[in-house]
Amino acid sequence: MALVKIEGVSKVFKEASLPVQALTSIHVEIQKGEFTAFCGPSGSGKTTLLNLIGCLDRPSEGKVHLENEEVSSLAQGKLATIRRRKIGFIFQDFNLIPTLTVRENIEYVLWLQGETESLRRQKSKALAERFGIGKLLSRRPAQISRGQQQRVACARAIIHKPLLIIGDELTANLDHKTGAELMDFIKKLNREEGLTFLYATHDPIMMERASRVVRMQDGRIIDGKG
Amino acid sequence: MFLLKFALLNLTRNKRRSAITVLAVGIGLAALIFLWAFMDGSHEEQRENVTRLFTGHVQIHAAGFAKKMSAELVIPNRPEVLEKIKSNPRVVSLAPRSKCEALIGTTAQSKGIVLTGIDLDAEPLVTDIKKQVKEGEFLSGGEGKEILIGHVLAEKLEVGLGDKVVLMTQAMDGTLAGFAYRVKGVIHSGALPLDEYSAFISLASSQELLGIDSDIHEIAVRLRSRAEIEGFKKDMQTVLPSDSYEMLAWNEIVPEVDQWASYSNAIIQTMLIAVMAVIAVGVMNTILMSIFERTKEIGVMMALGTGPRQVVSMIFFETLVLEFIGIILGIGLAYLLVFHFQRVGILMTGFEDAFAESFMSPVVHPHLAFHRVLTSVKTLVLITSFISLYPAWRAAKMEPVKAIYHS
Repeated sequence: MALVKIEGVSKVFKEASLPVQALTSIHVEIQKGEFTAFCGPSGSGKTTLLNLIGCLDRPSEGKVHLENEEVSSLAQGKLATIRRRKIGFIFQDFNLIPTLTVRENIEYVLWLQGETESLRRQKSKALAERFGIGKLLSRRPAQISRGQQQRVACARAIIHKPLLIIGDELTANLDHKTGAELMDFIKKLNREEGLTFLYATHDPIMMERASRVVRMQDGRIIDGKG
Repeated sequence: MFLLKFALLNLTRNKRRSAITVLAVGIGLAALIFLWAFMDGSHEEQRENVTRLFTGHVQIHAAGFAKKMSAELVIPNRPEVLEKIKSNPRVVSLAPRSKCEALIGTTAQSKGIVLTGIDLDAEPLVTDIKKQVKEGEFLSGGEGKEILIGHVLAEKLEVGLGDKVVLMTQAMDGTLAGFAYRVKGVIHSGALPLDEYSAFISLASSQELLGIDSDIHEIAVRLRSRAEIEGFKKDMQTVLPSDSYEMLAWNEIVPEVDQWASYSNAIIQTMLIAVMAVIAVGVMNTILMSIFERTKEIGVMMALGTGPRQVVSMIFFETLVLEFIGIILGIGLAYLLVFHFQRVGILMTGFEDAFAESFMSPVVHPHLAFHRVLTSVKTLVLITSFISLYPAWRAAKMEPVKAIYHS
């Protein structure tokens, strides 16, 4: 059974009353434990597709299945519950909450899930140590480097052990060395814990690290449907 | 705790804006509470003045006397009634009186007044009429016929201390009775009904004038406090059956005072809602601005799994925190203002005459009642919370994708 199944998905955005076709008849399946890169030029639809897989958006046509459950027509509240339980996000510009400390940022999803403070503390501490940011827990995002911020974002994305982690151009704002280190780290998580990882990139070096590459152009998949 | 901390942190992002909003809430609330305290203080003073000046807390008459004021309507079983009232534990003092409508005049002028015969020993224990004699002296109770009149009446009659005035009224037997009196004292009470339309002679003298022997028309009663009035009336129901007696509380005798208080309260309540609505719009604006600035962040929070309800709770909590701090500030400020002006009073220069007509002294001492604070706070919380639902709803309706890519 595929973890993610996309069936005939199209997405049309209305920009200034003009329809913009972002995706056209996409069919793709993602298996559990995959480390998949979605690549293509800017405007090819990779971010839109990842948003649909990540239950952040709904398709104009077609169906999105996550663990055999059709999620494309669910209400915002239910989609939020799915995101909270099953998905982790790592954004291009990290998007940490500036008023919260590193620890609180990492623990945020656990807090949403209603976990006790002691369990939150225990998990965030262990994860931060693993990511090499254990000494930064009481700092605010503005007080740490961009590489450290990205590690915090990664820790936040995996602390609740989601089925699926989605990263959008997650190394675009990092220097090459830091980006490569981060990808190696995520790859290690993928190998050791079997986490499914999908990420959008147009960086050839990042593509090389993927076990599967899905190429997109003009809102269509041109290679790597799987 | 997390929500509270998060709300506090969000409010510290733009400290100046949050501080201005808190100040607006605090000052608005303090102003309203103070206004209420000012009005309650002046009403309280009005009530105290009315009972102190001449009504006492309760007046007892023969049934129908208040309307007709006929000399023959004397209080039945006077000694027994006086005894029963005196023995009531709520009663501090009582003063027997006679009362009639009379014409007071000189050779040149005459005027209609209410003439009251007062017991010279008992009356000062119930009212402050004696203290209001600012020219001349209080009645002596001697053989000579003495009268106290108000200073406005004295001016209109063009009489002064020691001058003679003639009183004419209908006696109990229906005949026209009249005597000449010398002005012994002039009253300056500040209340027009006393200063222009009243005159006082001794009870014995009035009984002689009206031909009512030792009978009386009125018993003015002072209780331990105004709060005892209802209890006293209930106690006396069996002793003073309504077919023979009437018992009137001070506010039935002078209903204008309570009517004026109700009218003022209605105005303040309207102002309360209007001011609170303005404050609420200010709070809403702050929250809307804060949401607008955090659109991307709220989108990220939603992407991480924050549901619409949690977004509403978060925004609502921020409003509550702003309100709470503003309320604490407002109450503190109001208490300081009231405490200060309670001690020094507020001199209403230029309004002395208007105040005098309403039994008010021109120096108002605000009086803060807890239920007023509670009403103001409840109204503020209710209106602000209701209005804040709009920004909370707007935030919860955001689509995560649009919010994340909002610039």
